[in-house]
Amino acid sequence: MCVWCDQFAGGYERWYFNPANYARRLYKIRKEEAEALGAEANPQEAGGMAVLGREFLEARERNDYEAMERMKLEAEQMAWGTHFGQVITLDEALKVTDIMYPISLLTCACRRSMVGVPDEENFTCRGLGPGRYTGERWPDTYRGGVHFLTPDEAKEVLTKLNKRGLVQSIYTFGTPFLAGLCNCDYPDCASIRTVVDFGVRVLWRGHYVAKVDPELCNGCAACVARCQFRALSFAPSRNKAYIDQFQCFGCGLCATECDQEAITLVERASLPSLANVW
Amino acid sequence: MLATITVDDEKCNDPLSCRKCLLICPTHVLGLGTDVGPQKFRETDPNHFILRGVRFEKCTGCMDCVEVCPQNAIQVSF
Repeated sequence: MCVWCDQFAGGYERWYFNPANYARRLYKIRKEEAEALGAEANPQEAGGMAVLGREFLEARERNDYEAMERMKLEAEQMAWGTHFGQVITLDEALKVTDIMYPISLLTCACRRSMVGVPDEENFTCRGLGPGRYTGERWPDTYRGGVHFLTPDEAKEVLTKLNKRGLVQSIYTFGTPFLAGLCNCDYPDCASIRTVVDFGVRVLWRGHYVAKVDPELCNGCAACVARCQFRALSFAPSRNKAYIDQFQCFGCGLCATECDQEAITLVERASLPSLANVW
Repeated sequence: MLATITVDDEKCNDPLSCRKCLLICPTHVLGLGTDVGPQKFRETDPNHFILRGVRFEKCTGCMDCVEVCPQNAIQVSF
């Protein structure tokens, strides 16, 4: 069971299909809570998007598993209360576009921090909800501006970014307030990087797991470049794609690229050994 | 072994538009930030952007960033 659905779905199939989680009311609450915590939410200032600092890397260097575990837990607890994400499929992202408004196009703060991508090449981030009406107040957080999209425009952009190979994921800004729909890849997404490199769950696996049908797979390998989670490889001896389902985040990028429809998405909950692997 | 990466902020005065080191690093070790918080109604001045080593665990010690820096502002040691 997804703990976020358990707590915040409000009778909807998923927590991110519950319109209440996009409501302005939560934005206001978030602001007060963040201020109460003394948190100035500036990921740039926090050090180039690193969730775990040098202290963690040094503990890792000396195999201090206890210290690493403690720092991981602290980082996860902090993220889950304030700002974390969950992978969603393109279909789910399109559905989100239908249930909430407004949607805006923004530049990606991660890619700016990781590789200094110029604003005009960096419009891959989706802002959700009324928080982005304040964009003009914070020109630096929203470098390149906030561009509001109609639902149809938002769907077109999401589909294009998926085609380009970027993973869709949805982010809280003061859990459970959902305000970001990111389109990410390794290594320049701070979340994907943190979860893939260190197993720190600032990004949760999605509700699906990809599965290859070996009868249908023709060995074209078009899917291989699509996986950002090191879950998909190509087995030359069988001339088939291979998916490590325990590593799969269920983004569906491999499936949307497969001409043969050889890759399907299975409900995580339907697989006993994976139902609690998030 | 973890690398130590130091950047002379006086020499590295506009990393956001230069970004040669960010692009050349094979493992994306470096990160860009600012030395001021987000400011209401104004963009951060380019000279307040700072470059730092961030993902030290991925630094191989190739020195490409040191060599590419036109200001000679980066030092990497082990």
